[in-house]
Amino acid sequence: MATVSKDEELRKLSMELRYFEQTAEALQQRLGMMNAAMTDLTYANMTLESIEKEKENAELLVPIGGSSYVKVKLAESDKVVVGMGAGVSVEKTLPEAKAVVKERLDELEKSRAAGQQQLSQVVERVNHGRARMEELLAELRQGQQ
Amino acid sequence: MSDEISKLPPQVQERLLRLQQLQQTLQTILQQKQQVDAEQAEIDQTLAELEKTADDAVIYKAAGALLVKADKAKVNADLTERKELLGTRVTVLARQEERMRSQLKEVQTKLQEDLNPVSAQSQQ
Repeated sequence: MATVSKDEELRKLSMELRYFEQTAEALQQRLGMMNAAMTDLTYANMTLESIEKEKENAELLVPIGGSSYVKVKLAESDKVVVGMGAGVSVEKTLPEAKAVVKERLDELEKSRAAGQQQLSQVVERVNHGRARMEELLAELRQGQQ
Repeated sequence: MSDEISKLPPQVQERLLRLQQLQQTLQTILQQKQQVDAEQAEIDQTLAELEKTADDAVIYKAAGALLVKADKAKVNADLTERKELLGTRVTVLARQEERMRSQLKEVQTKLQEDLNPVSAQSQQ
C-alpha cells in the first residue's frame, strides 16, 4: 500500500517537475529576449548621446550590415525618428527620443527583475522536487531489496 | 508505446488518433489567438502613443524595409481598421476554440468509456 502511494507521489512529482522545467525554460527565453532588447536600447541611447554632440552636416558612417558602412551627412542633429510599434514611427526631438528610450529601459528593467524573481522561485521548486524524487527513488529501491 | 496502442481495438485506435488531431488543432488555434492578441495590444499601444503626439507631427509608416511619410489621421484610421479586423478574427478563433474544446471533451469521454467500460457503466 505504502509503495503504491510512493509510486503515485513519484508519478505526480515527475509531472510537476516536467511542468516547472518547461516554465523555467520559457522564463529563461523571455529573460534572454529582454536582455537583447535592453542591449539594443542601450546602444540607441549611446547613439543619441553621441549625435547630440554632433553638428549639422557632420560626416557619419551608417552600418548597413556585414560590417559595411555608407557615408552620410547629418541633415538634422536635433531630430530623430522613433518607432512606436505596429510599423509606425514618429519624428521626435533628441531629448524626447532619449526620454522614450529611458522609459522603455526602465520598464524592461522592472519586467526583468520580476522575471528573474519568478525564475528563481521556479528553480527552487525544481531543485526541491528533484531532491524529493531522489529520496523517493531511494526508498523504493530499498523496499525492493 | 506504439506496440501497446496497436493492441487496442481499431475503433479505440481511431478515437485516439482523432483525440491527437483535435489537440493539435486546438494548439494551433490557441497560438493564432495569442498572435492576434499580441498584435491587438501593440496597435492599442501605438494608438495611445499617437494620441499623445501633435496633429502636425511628422509620422512615418513602415513599407517593408523603408519608412514612408504618412498623415497622422490616415495612420490612425488604418490602425483602427486593422484593430477591428483583428477583433473579428479573435471572435472567429474563440468560436473555433470553443468548438474544438467541446469535441475534445466528447472524444475524451468516449475514450474513457472505451478504455474503462466497467467503471464507466458503474458510474452511470
